[in-house]
Amino acid sequence: MVAMHMPDSLRKAALCLLMAALALPVGIDAQLRSIVTKSVSASSSGSSIELHFDDQTTLSIALDDGVAFIDGESAGSFERGDELDQAWRDLLVEAMSLENGELAEVLEAWEAPSSDVVAMRVDQALERALGVEQSESVSDAVVQSDATSLARFLLQSLGRLGVLDEALADLEDEDVQVHVDEDVTIEDGESVEGTLVVIEGTLRVEGTLDGDAVLVGGALDLRDGGLVRGQVRMADSRVLRSSGEVRGGIVDLLEDMRESESELRTELRNEIRDEVREDLRRELRDVARFESDDFSIMTPFRPVIRGVGGVVEKLVAVFLLGLLGAGFIAFAGQNVDAISETARRSPGRAAAVGFAGSFLLVPVWLLGALALIVSIVGIPVAIAWLPLFPIAAMLAALLGIVAVARNTGEWLADSTLPWTGWIRKSNQVFTLFGGLLGLAGLFIAGHVISIIPVLGIFSALLFGVGTILLVIAAQIGFGAVLLTRAGRRREYAGRHDPDAAWAAAMDMKPGEDAAADTNDNRGEG
Amino acid sequence: MRKVAWGAVAALVVLPAVAEGQEWRTVTMSRQLERVEDLRVFVEYGAGHFTVRSVDEDLLYRMQLEYDEEKFEPVADFASDRLRLGVESIGRNVSINTRRTGSLELELPRGVPMDLDLEFGAVSAEIDLGGLALTDLDVSTGASESYVEISELNSEEIGTATFEAGAAEFTAMGLGNLNADRIEVDAGVGSITLGLDGSWQDDGYVSIDMGLGALELRIPEGVGVRLKKDSFLTAIDSEGLIKRGDTFESPDFDDAERRVEIDIDAAFGAISVVWTR
Repeated sequence: MVAMHMPDSLRKAALCLLMAALALPVGIDAQLRSIVTKSVSASSSGSSIELHFDDQTTLSIALDDGVAFIDGESAGSFERGDELDQAWRDLLVEAMSLENGELAEVLEAWEAPSSDVVAMRVDQALERALGVEQSESVSDAVVQSDATSLARFLLQSLGRLGVLDEALADLEDEDVQVHVDEDVTIEDGESVEGTLVVIEGTLRVEGTLDGDAVLVGGALDLRDGGLVRGQVRMADSRVLRSSGEVRGGIVDLLEDMRESESELRTELRNEIRDEVREDLRRELRDVARFESDDFSIMTPFRPVIRGVGGVVEKLVAVFLLGLLGAGFIAFAGQNVDAISETARRSPGRAAAVGFAGSFLLVPVWLLGALALIVSIVGIPVAIAWLPLFPIAAMLAALLGIVAVARNTGEWLADSTLPWTGWIRKSNQVFTLFGGLLGLAGLFIAGHVISIIPVLGIFSALLFGVGTILLVIAAQIGFGAVLLTRAGRRREYAGRHDPDAAWAAAMDMKPGEDAAADTNDNRGEG
Repeated sequence: MRKVAWGAVAALVVLPAVAEGQEWRTVTMSRQLERVEDLRVFVEYGAGHFTVRSVDEDLLYRMQLEYDEEKFEPVADFASDRLRLGVESIGRNVSINTRRTGSLELELPRGVPMDLDLEFGAVSAEIDLGGLALTDLDVSTGASESYVEISELNSEEIGTATFEAGAAEFTAMGLGNLNADRIEVDAGVGSITLGLDGSWQDDGYVSIDMGLGALELRIPEGVGVRLKKDSFLTAIDSEGLIKRGDTFESPDFDDAERRVEIDIDAAFGAISVVWTR
């Protein structure tokens, strides 16, 4: 316990003493608390440290998005990249590679880069958490009343210096009494003159204080009959009881800071509330959109939207397939001719091959991969085989559909069906698009009918028949692609001609001993 | 190496602005070593570069993570001698970013007996278990490029050490240093390299169950090897081994000071034996 009487201007000297004490080589190593776990993190938006001590207490300090948090509570704001932010990040860089004792020393020795309140608070929090417990050892040391001991104690209360300076400003009294870490009582009937400064203690007033009182990190207990003729200045302090009289009034030195803190909290709260509200609104919108049981203004239009969407979807598919098919015809017209011809001439054979091919695709793919992987040399080939085989199969299927679609288009052009007059057999692209529309026709009709709710069964029927026809068409096309080796062979493109086959088997020139007109049916093969 | 790593971390911390659009966070976590009776360590890591090594300080662990904080959060739980480390997903739409991946560098204490369970997914991993006192080991890797090394003799004895590799390029070296009665390797598809070097304290048994891929066995000269193969379609390059019935043996198998029996159950692939000095 310390009680120092300070004549007039010595109060500033007291501050100097405290500041000077910081430079004293005080042995603090043994006093620092043991850190059990540490977590230091940093990102572009903020940086933080979390410490767990051996007595199960914790400390977390985070400078995140312009707000400093100490143990989860806002400690004020800072500017990203300012002095505090940089100094804090520098400290954490050092802290990342240090453990326990060394870490505690570095953190404890860190000094706030400025007299900014937030920086001081961070510094103070570190000091408090890492310093020795406020126990007998401290008190015993302070009882010695020497400057070093006082400084050592105050070192641990470094954060108080900023507010102490503010609290002592403009005081005109001749006498200032400073009490550190002790309770002060003015007894009933007793009168004290001058200014009383109580740091980390309780000032109990039952008698009369003929001057000002300054409380830093302490408490005021103003009993019944107690009188303070001057002003009571409080920093980080509280009023326990106020039954007496304070003629100069009670001034809260940190009120502005608390107000800004409060504003910040309100702002944060509003932001969080708005965010939660927006999330809820979005959730509700989603629920309204997808929950079919609930009625919404869009409910009557859903079948129309679905039906029109389906039609558009099919038209887009026809368009894309048409473009692809046009590409095939432009760059591999003869191959498409051979495949189309095979599909037309030998649809049964092509369908059988197509079905078999579809079933064998996956086994062939896997067995091919395995056969390649067995040898070390084959492993790189297998790496190419695994993705390329499915791609090739998909291209073959598309090529087959294009070929069958062209045949369908030609058939539609020859037919007397309505809306087919525009399909001109002389233009392959027309026949291709006509055929694709023909293949998609049942689906399109199904979507249109689905707009009328009571006709749902017909819609399903059309989809079913359409799917079956499309699968058959796809199998015929795929089979034709396989039979013609992607249009490179034309054996199946012509009708079977026994004479021509005989001539081929006997290695005779066509027409030597066979009817000349059969040559027309053999094609190029 | 560590200085370089710390330097990189320091750069990340000091330079606030990094990749826009993703919130990358660097975290260093550690815990002081305390008395533990039966330490079990579980490490789970999903995406990125994964490193494990031993540390000579009085630490239970030190973990350095770099991760996208919008999608993951670090895990470091220690209770009842159970230590759980890694990252877990928090996002609803987790996708693996191809531009930048995270990392986890883990240090575990030397000489502290522990049961270690490592599970990591689509990552590249460098794991050095040398110096750790392992009482049990389970390593499970998904699609990854993993390199596991036991660079020093394990001071504890392991009953069965298990390695599971899904579709991976998996390498495990210094298996003799594991001090394990039995080593089980379960590989799906990929390239597996197993190094039987190290200080075998006793005769060993290695069981390899492989689906499809290439297996390379690196066997140091002086270690007696008996290889038994049960496969469907697997070629073996058994240079230096003598075929005896269903098995292949090294010429000095009967006289060797330490003998290792290798049991391979492979479906498709190729096995090659490489002798090392």
